[in-house]
Amino acid sequence: MTDAAIVTQKLTRRFGALLAVDEMDLQVAAGQFFGFLGPNGAGKSTTIKMLTGLLAPSSGRVQLLGLDFSSHAVEVKRQIGVVPEGMGLFERLTGAEYLNFVGRMYGLDRATTRQRSEELLEFMQLADRPKSVIADYSHGMQKKLALAAAVIHGPRILFLDEPFEGVDALAAGALKALLGRMTERGVTIFLTSHVLEIVERLCSHVAIIHKGRLVAQGSLEELRAGTRGEEGRQTTLEEIFVSIVGQDGSERPQMEELSWLM
Amino acid sequence: MANVAGNLGVGGQIRLVAELRWRILRNHLRRKNSKLDLIGLIWAAIFSGIMVIGLSFAFCWGAYISISTGHFGWLVLLFWSIFLFWQVFPLFVAGFGATFEFRTLLRFPLSLTAFYLVGLAYGLADFAAIASICWLLAIAVGAGIANPALLPAVSAILVLFVFMSTTFERLLGSWLERLLARRRTRELFFGLFILLSVSVQFIRPLITRYANGSSPSSVLRFLPYLSPFPPSLASRALAAAAGGHDATFLWSVTGILAYIGVFSALLWRRFAAQYRGEELSEAAAPARVASRVNSRTDSSSDALGLFSPQVAAVLRKEFRYLSRNGFVLVSLLMPPILVLLFSSQFGGPHPSVTHRGISPDMFFPGMMGYLILMLMTPAYNCFAYEGRGIQTYFTAPLGFRDVLLGKNLMHAGVLVFEVVLSMLVLALRIGLPSTPVFIATIAAVIFAVAGQFAIADWVSLSFPRKLEFGSMRGQRSSGVSIWVAFGVQILLAGICSLILFAGRWTNSPWLPAEAFVALAAASIAGYFATLDVLSGVAEKKKEILIETLSR
Repeated sequence: MTDAAIVTQKLTRRFGALLAVDEMDLQVAAGQFFGFLGPNGAGKSTTIKMLTGLLAPSSGRVQLLGLDFSSHAVEVKRQIGVVPEGMGLFERLTGAEYLNFVGRMYGLDRATTRQRSEELLEFMQLADRPKSVIADYSHGMQKKLALAAAVIHGPRILFLDEPFEGVDALAAGALKALLGRMTERGVTIFLTSHVLEIVERLCSHVAIIHKGRLVAQGSLEELRAGTRGEEGRQTTLEEIFVSIVGQDGSERPQMEELSWLM
Repeated sequence: MANVAGNLGVGGQIRLVAELRWRILRNHLRRKNSKLDLIGLIWAAIFSGIMVIGLSFAFCWGAYISISTGHFGWLVLLFWSIFLFWQVFPLFVAGFGATFEFRTLLRFPLSLTAFYLVGLAYGLADFAAIASICWLLAIAVGAGIANPALLPAVSAILVLFVFMSTTFERLLGSWLERLLARRRTRELFFGLFILLSVSVQFIRPLITRYANGSSPSSVLRFLPYLSPFPPSLASRALAAAAGGHDATFLWSVTGILAYIGVFSALLWRRFAAQYRGEELSEAAAPARVASRVNSRTDSSSDALGLFSPQVAAVLRKEFRYLSRNGFVLVSLLMPPILVLLFSSQFGGPHPSVTHRGISPDMFFPGMMGYLILMLMTPAYNCFAYEGRGIQTYFTAPLGFRDVLLGKNLMHAGVLVFEVVLSMLVLALRIGLPSTPVFIATIAAVIFAVAGQFAIADWVSLSFPRKLEFGSMRGQRSSGVSIWVAFGVQILLAGICSLILFAGRWTNSPWLPAEAFVALAAASIAGYFATLDVLSGVAEKKKEILIETLSR
């Protein structure tokens, strides 16, 4: 891959005795809409945190847009946008104040920041409550604001941790369209979600992490080709996911043990 | 479905809740960062134990003397002091330790009666209740020693008093919870509460000045006005039992029972509302669509143009946070109020504590030192209110020195404002000191503040503690930051005192000023030199910062 946006080499993170991410080698090409999947506790959020500078790797390297993260942290951060786990909002600012703050933190001038803030608030349908502080927003509104903050500086890579959780259908549709347009213009989107239908609809490429190890990576077609589904029907991402992650049977709940419930 | 949940019974449920509280506390203390909390808790337990036992002897002795000498009027003071402690103390200490939202129990299959009784029993599980019950038992022992025949009557009175106090404490707590559910009300309330606490300090100077001295008799004169209330009724019942006045005893006990009835009915009503699923959250109601604000061209010059966009952004954000934190905002009124208080007690032509007023040359440096001690403490946990927003600082393309600089500048701005305001009060009350002392003090303030910022930033990064906006309960910094702040301030106070006294000993009024100007310059240079080092510390400590503040 010549124009890789995200490259990790033997990326590892330990928390004491727990190996959360184990020598991960990941490659994401520029302009890809990339889905990063895994069961709960597989290491998805830990990986995103390492890719965005929120967590230092125990070992291994992260390269974004050809720059080594550890030695060019500020240059790399200038070109990425993040919706972190928990959204990372300053809850006692209003939506407009928060976007103005973030814009200025990314070095945008005041006029540009203000103009973009207003446009983003309008697009996200958040402009109607100019005096409400973020703490008073609903979960979905906070999510939309976090997304707006992640794109205000026009990033070249966008990291989204469960971006559509709690967002209403109308806003989610508009957001998906926006993200699609961004990838057309060369922006790389790295998305995690537990809603596999969303990932299947939006992403061209997918990686699956399980118990800290990367167990599958490729385009949806490549993954489908490696999974045998029912004849005459296209294999769904859910089937691919279950066949890869649940191969050893340990992930599938043992229904017989819950006989008292049935 | 094969089976359904069984019926545990109220006793079992109370036991489960007690066990749950204990486990929450134990797990809280098990966390890596809570080791120092545990030490603090052990110390607090030792001191509290000594206090409770010591006061138990005092209450026992008080009850004994009162009954054996026939001074029954003193009993009312004992009951009132216990009652006030029981009701007011929980407001201050409830947050020390793990917090537990009692209403989360509502998801379990509890009847309203069980919920009420569990709630009432829960009220007996805090320190104020346990200490108060110990003291009431001490009164019973004292009364029993003075007159063993009184024991049955004392026991009955104390059981009723405990029941009444617990019910009232829970009632007060649940109504406060309802009243303070909205953030603004909460902030305003706590701000006023602090102002009230400080204002109480003015009572003594006012009495000294206008009532020709205070005496216990002036307090006793006030007591008859409190006679219809439960503590007075309890003491009257005990006095009546000791004096053999059966009718008064019965009337007083009936009065306490009436209070129990009223408080129980009101508490039942409150708990019933909670049981039905009362919504106390402050999420805004759906708002009417506001007219769109037209995009304006930004032609105004930036008032913070002197700073980099990042530092200016942090400064603006800090200012907004300050202006929205009603509790902190109101507490900013405290320094000038304290200056007013101390100046009336120790300075000016009519000091209430000393016979002769302290001269401005002595008073001014002392007062400024006290203000710095008080105002610098929040700097030792300067990320307290960031919450999850802390992640923004680490995902944004900036060195952490900009964040620290922005925060320290805002804090310095507040300090300047407070010091100037306090100086004005001082100038009006007792006048300003001589020029050498004035310059020496201002330079010493700069030295102390700049020096502390570097250490405070390191402590804030290394030992962060999340605080809630507009809340007073359980709001305290980590044990390490409190102790480091204390140690540093003692050290700085020592250095400053030494230099000031050196000036006096050598009879060189300008020596302290010169020394402090040199120290202030060194301190400012040292502060800027540490900013990059602290950026590195932030990078190393980011995991613990994010984890602690995003929790």
